Amino acid sequence: MDFSLQQDTPEMSAFRQEVRAWLEENMKGGEHLRWSGNWSTRENDEEYRFRRALAGKLGQKRWLFPTYPVKYGGAGLTLDHQFVLETEIDRYGLSLGSVFYTLARLVAPAVMKFGTEEQKLEFLPPMLRGELAVWQVLTEPQGGSDVANCQTKAIRDGDHYVVNGQKVLVGHHLPPDYLWTFVCTNPAGKRHENLGWLYIPANLPGVTLQHMHLMMGIKNAVFFDNVRVPAKYLVGGENNGWKVANSYLELEHGGGGSVAEQPLFKRLIDHCQKADFDGESLIEDQDIRDEIADMLIDLDVQRLMGLRNFWHRYVREPHAYGGPQFLYFQRMVRLRNSERVQKILGYDALVPDNSVHEVADFEYTVRSGPGWLHGGGTLDTDRLIIARRLGLGRPAQEAAPTTVGE
Amino acid sequence: MDLKLNDDQNMMKKVAADFIKVEAPSYRITDWYQKKQAFIPALYKKTAEVGWLGMMVPEELGGGGTFLMDCAVVFEELGRAPLPGPYFASGVLAAQLMLDGASPEMKKTWLPKICDGSAVIIPAISDDPMQFGPRSVQTRAFKSGEGYKFIGAKRFVQDGSAASHFILAARDDAGQVVLGLIDRNAPGVTVTEASGFMIGAAEVKLESVEVGKYAVLNGSNGAWAVVESALGKVLPILCAYKVGACQEIFEMTNEYTRTRVVFGQPIGRFQRVQDHCVDISIHLDGARWTTYETLWKLDSGIEARASVHQAKAVASEAYYQSCNFSHMVFAGAGTDYKHPLMAHSVLAHSLYQYLGTPLYHKRAMVDALYPRKLKRAG
Repeated sequence: MDFSLQQDTPEMSAFRQEVRAWLEENMKGGEHLRWSGNWSTRENDEEYRFRRALAGKLGQKRWLFPTYPVKYGGAGLTLDHQFVLETEIDRYGLSLGSVFYTLARLVAPAVMKFGTEEQKLEFLPPMLRGELAVWQVLTEPQGGSDVANCQTKAIRDGDHYVVNGQKVLVGHHLPPDYLWTFVCTNPAGKRHENLGWLYIPANLPGVTLQHMHLMMGIKNAVFFDNVRVPAKYLVGGENNGWKVANSYLELEHGGGGSVAEQPLFKRLIDHCQKADFDGESLIEDQDIRDEIADMLIDLDVQRLMGLRNFWHRYVREPHAYGGPQFLYFQRMVRLRNSERVQKILGYDALVPDNSVHEVADFEYTVRSGPGWLHGGGTLDTDRLIIARRLGLGRPAQEAAPTTVGE
Repeated sequence: MDLKLNDDQNMMKKVAADFIKVEAPSYRITDWYQKKQAFIPALYKKTAEVGWLGMMVPEELGGGGTFLMDCAVVFEELGRAPLPGPYFASGVLAAQLMLDGASPEMKKTWLPKICDGSAVIIPAISDDPMQFGPRSVQTRAFKSGEGYKFIGAKRFVQDGSAASHFILAARDDAGQVVLGLIDRNAPGVTVTEASGFMIGAAEVKLESVEVGKYAVLNGSNGAWAVVESALGKVLPILCAYKVGACQEIFEMTNEYTRTRVVFGQPIGRFQRVQDHCVDISIHLDGARWTTYETLWKLDSGIEARASVHQAKAVASEAYYQSCNFSHMVFAGAGTDYKHPLMAHSVLAHSLYQYLGTPLYHKRAMVDALYPRKLKRAG
């Protein structure tokens, strides 16, 4: 076995140099910015604009989706190249997937797999060039985990679908360009056979956004009031939406893996080394050290699960339950860490510090522990998916199939 | 990056699995555990012939000269059974203590015997039922001629009854730890099997036991440095044994949810039951990957002190908790000593504090990363 990440071939080493030099040049002007997490809760417009501009530049270089075919706006490079790009941008505390405040990272593979050639040629290039902010618009007021119980209707009317309904808990503080929307295309149809995906331009008449103020920051409600969406925006065919959802949600459910580092832990250690109580440094306190031990183990196991998933994706050998297991574990670790941080810092853990990267901010950590227990499904749906993948309670050959994302 | 086993390792894994299928089928394992037979000499001999004792000992000293990862692959399969016996204690740990602390003459004499199974050498470090570390060594070593006289009692020596010899830790007049090799049948040595909810432990009493100067393994930086150095390499092998055990528990528990029908349906349809399997998966994979990464670091010459402690803490807890979650699924049936889970449950409890509890190793992990300013002994 070999866990080392940095064994570049001469070709990759040259590419890494190129990427590093490019980033040095193009990250200029962002030195004073303190990044938000993957999902902004800071509502920092300057940071948002910098990241969108950076995404545009990366997209122009075709480095945002490096492995995609050239004709769709990718660079036709290998996963090795993507890995180099991911690790280099990680040095700045950013990630390729979230640099531009969009869920294009999830949407593009679905279009790639289920779109027609015309759709791919039309939808993908601007998305892959980083020009667009795309939101995933899935959750509805009456149901999050039960996504198949979709009440937003899209009824065919000539060359259009007429969309009516409401989605909630999506997006950021600034508006999107497209809405990747789960809809019911046949209200009279059977469950799982009556759904579809629409790639809806956000500026169509009848689309209204309304901020929702949440524990994790600003998200939105999206209202569709007789929105006429040209039929060409239906991806994957009418009533075939469940199949599309099942395939690409694996990515959201942790199948993509992660190789990111944990700046929160470093900052906590730093705090414990500097802070003292009655003359003794916090880091010398055995109770504090025991909290640190548990946190370190959680984070290391999480890192290793991410690495394992990355590897399975890399060699294209699906891991039966690795995706949802990683996601589940990550949520639990975030929750436990949120409590650990408060145990160590008390009131100080409740005071935001905008001078650091959001993912290392103690207040954000405390808030996002319980706050992010549900993104992309609840803890309990994670467990359910793992159980299905393990084929618990059913003959082994009936275990749910796994999918590998792009 | 490459997270797969290589072809050789896959072959070793298969050989080990096949061996166990023939020599130690489930019904024999449960029988041994129920009767507390922690050492089956005939089986031990056979494993020596396959080359599983002293796998990492250099070939010129009778061993296999393998990497840690290769040895771990075999131990994972042994743990699946779980095969009882001093495979780790003598074949791995005692061998490593010899390699790190013994004189060239001692190595030449004893390592081939460890490897062919004719000597079963059991390390006996801690005197305490729970503690580990140099302070847990309470047996006294009094100067006697050019060697020592050991006096003390080690209440729980894992695999103690299997021993032909012991590597014993004691403290001299200056409070320094010394290590001595003694014959089980030497005058003053009494070995009494411990009884209780455990397997393999024995009390070793030492009433003025002579340890000659040629039987001392104090290395060049003191005996505790020898213990630390040896454990720093081979603890992940013990972890691999536990990983294999967790894998077996995971599979048998999942299978039970498919075949056990209650309220008219397989119990795996109940989400509460599914949760227990999910929890086992997390303990299993946490143990597996911390262990693998540590083995890789050691085989690659990368500093791994904290990782070794981490793997030991995670794997011991994983084995213990996997048993508990499995008990939740098997319920009454799983508490029968005739059930395969009971072998694991007894063993997981026995190994929980062996060579340091999870808490001990968590603390040692943090100490390795962020050394304390105020150095406390132990």
